[in-house]
Amino acid sequence: MDFSLEYTEEQEEFAKEVREWLEENVPKDLVDIRDTLKMSHEQWQKRRELTRKLGEKGWLYPGYPLEYGGGGLDMDHRYVLTQELAKKGLALPPLYDMGILAAPAIMAYGTEEQKKRFLPPIFKGDVLTWQLFTEPEAGTDEANQQTKALRYVRDNDYFIVNGQKIFVGSFPSAPEQFYLLTRSDLEAPRHQNLSSFLIPANLPGITIQPLDLFPLSTLPVACGPTGANLEAVKHSVFFDDVRIHESHLIGREGQGWMVTSATLEVEHGGGAWIARNLVVEKFLAQCKSNPNVVKRLRENPQLLNSVVNIYIGAQIERLFSMRNADGKGGVYGGPQLALYSKMFGARLIADMAAVLGPYAFVDDTEWGLDEGIFEVGQRCGICLAPGGTPEALKIGISRALAIGR
Amino acid sequence: MNLDLGLTESEEMLKKTALDFLRRDAPKEVIQALQETDTGYTEELWRKAVEMGWLGVIIPEQYGGMGNSLTCAGVLFEALGTGPLPGPYFSSGILGSSIILEAGTEEQKRRVLPAVTEGEQILTLALTEPGYSWEPGAVQTTATSKNGDFVLDGLKLFTIDAHAATHLIVVARMGKGADPAEGIALFLVDRNSDGVSVRRLPGFLAGRSFEVKLDSVKVPRSAMLGDKDDGWQALEQGITKSIPILCAYKVGACQAVFEMTLEYSRIRVQFGMPIGRFQRVQDMIIEMVDHLEAARWTTYEALWKLDTQRPAAESVHLAKAVTSQAYWEACTLAHRVFSGISYSKEHPVSFHTRASRSLYSYLGEPSYHRQHLARLLTAA
Repeated sequence: MDFSLEYTEEQEEFAKEVREWLEENVPKDLVDIRDTLKMSHEQWQKRRELTRKLGEKGWLYPGYPLEYGGGGLDMDHRYVLTQELAKKGLALPPLYDMGILAAPAIMAYGTEEQKKRFLPPIFKGDVLTWQLFTEPEAGTDEANQQTKALRYVRDNDYFIVNGQKIFVGSFPSAPEQFYLLTRSDLEAPRHQNLSSFLIPANLPGITIQPLDLFPLSTLPVACGPTGANLEAVKHSVFFDDVRIHESHLIGREGQGWMVTSATLEVEHGGGAWIARNLVVEKFLAQCKSNPNVVKRLRENPQLLNSVVNIYIGAQIERLFSMRNADGKGGVYGGPQLALYSKMFGARLIADMAAVLGPYAFVDDTEWGLDEGIFEVGQRCGICLAPGGTPEALKIGISRALAIGR
Repeated sequence: MNLDLGLTESEEMLKKTALDFLRRDAPKEVIQALQETDTGYTEELWRKAVEMGWLGVIIPEQYGGMGNSLTCAGVLFEALGTGPLPGPYFSSGILGSSIILEAGTEEQKRRVLPAVTEGEQILTLALTEPGYSWEPGAVQTTATSKNGDFVLDGLKLFTIDAHAATHLIVVARMGKGADPAEGIALFLVDRNSDGVSVRRLPGFLAGRSFEVKLDSVKVPRSAMLGDKDDGWQALEQGITKSIPILCAYKVGACQAVFEMTLEYSRIRVQFGMPIGRFQRVQDMIIEMVDHLEAARWTTYEALWKLDTQRPAAESVHLAKAVTSQAYWEACTLAHRVFSGISYSKEHPVSFHTRASRSLYSYLGEPSYHRQHLARLLTAA
């Protein structure tokens, strides 16, 4: 066995190339942004620019085939890229872009023509994508779609979409496109009545409304598929007689559930990545170097239990992700990692609060703690839903073990 | 990064051999009977294990062993844990041998290790005492020098496999320093020496935990490992290298418990459907599989670190804390899924439950290893 995460000689060579490129192309004010929700519009634009540059280089979606605009790079190189970006406090992609969830579905179920048309703009960073799955009546029961995309009787090439999506997207402005799941057949049985589309976000009849929520982020890890610096302000998106040409279908009409399943598999932990929990590293550094924290730990040995809980949880999370990355997760590895990560996030903030006291919840340049700790405090205890509730993930594991329905 | 978390071909072969051995030679009736015995093995099983080289799995070839990696030994013990096969295989072939390798002189290694490989000598560690602790400060058994030999006096408690052992590795104090680890020596003591008496502790500990009285036991100077009274560090090294292999045994055990529980949840019908359909039952199985996988990967990583000479202290404490807890919890969950039937002494879950309780404290319970982790994590 080999658990080594140190670079090999060949990886070190690539890392050097990456470091030099990042040094040249990442503006100083994009490095280690503490809270991306507070980014200025100008900073966001710079990130947008960086996204395009990474796309040009093939490093935005490094694992996808060259013929569709990806990087054609193997796991080893992808690992180097994510590590080097993480050192600058950036994830891949560096902006909220659910192309990472749309792309695997297009790869799996898109026709060759659709792949050639849909994938390059995503991989090159020319378009950002929001995923429009969740609805008021379609939460964990994702298939219970109430939006309707019905064939327009007078012009059969078009679908007319009506309905509402909720808890979707990011900030600060609308993306270029939506990855939309919707009902397209009122008669067909469940799971056969849905269709998936990749559509421009600016079609007439679409309205986007921001929601006033706590910042959402799925995972506290830095190098996860939806990295730590991808906080999202969520929105409702309303469709009011929106005309969609059939060329925007992914797969065929009625295949929506299959297409969605390919996405959910990745979203529910199937994507291979190697997690390094930077927040835990920062927290443990506090336990050694912050005199205040050191004193608290000395005076109340009970707190050591929380420190050890955090350490153990982070190691298990890391090992599960390495296991999955090496394809040793078996049938349940994907959702198991996703579930573990979420529940660890919830326990993490409880244990951090035990050790740090109210400092864990203060976002202040004078009294706040090292970067990222507050952000975790704000998110992890409560935001367990994005990407599937823990309960939905348990359904996934049970099915994988052939005991679920 | 050169990620490769699979077994090598020869490790896969060893795993298969060991699992076949269990199926053929140690089915559940045999394991149930062995759990009740004082030694945990039969001559026939012991001879077969010796023939396959399992007692010398980590002993270097120059001392007659197979000279395998710790990972390889982990693979073997993971398979044995599925039984769970009792007997002094770990105590002698892994822990005892590791301590001799770390602490012994060249002469002692040449004298003892080939005999361990051949199964003629069986070792076990006698460390803990009535003031139960795995820390050096708790060692009160004394060794006094007398005419060039030594005399041992004291009481060892919770010594695993003491009845099966031919030789005890006795941890004794010769002096006191500022550091409690100073002045501790290790002695290889023939269990049949005058003054040694061994008594099995009745209770739930699967029949393998003993009280060992040392009453003016005379041992020659050659019995002192390393010929020095500073043996704690070597002992600690030997224990550290052995722990992940004990963990691997528990990983195999968790795997077996998980598999039988999952299977039962598919075939046991209540309320007109397999109980695995119930989400409350699913919750328990999911919890179990979390324990199993956490145990497995913390163990494998610790083995890999030791085999590649990386700093491994944190990983070893982590693995032991996680796997002891995992095995305990997996068994508790299994009883909840199986209910009535699993309380039978003939039921494999009950074998595992006793083993999980017996091994929970062996070489340090989770709280001990968590305490050490806390020290490593907060030391300024």
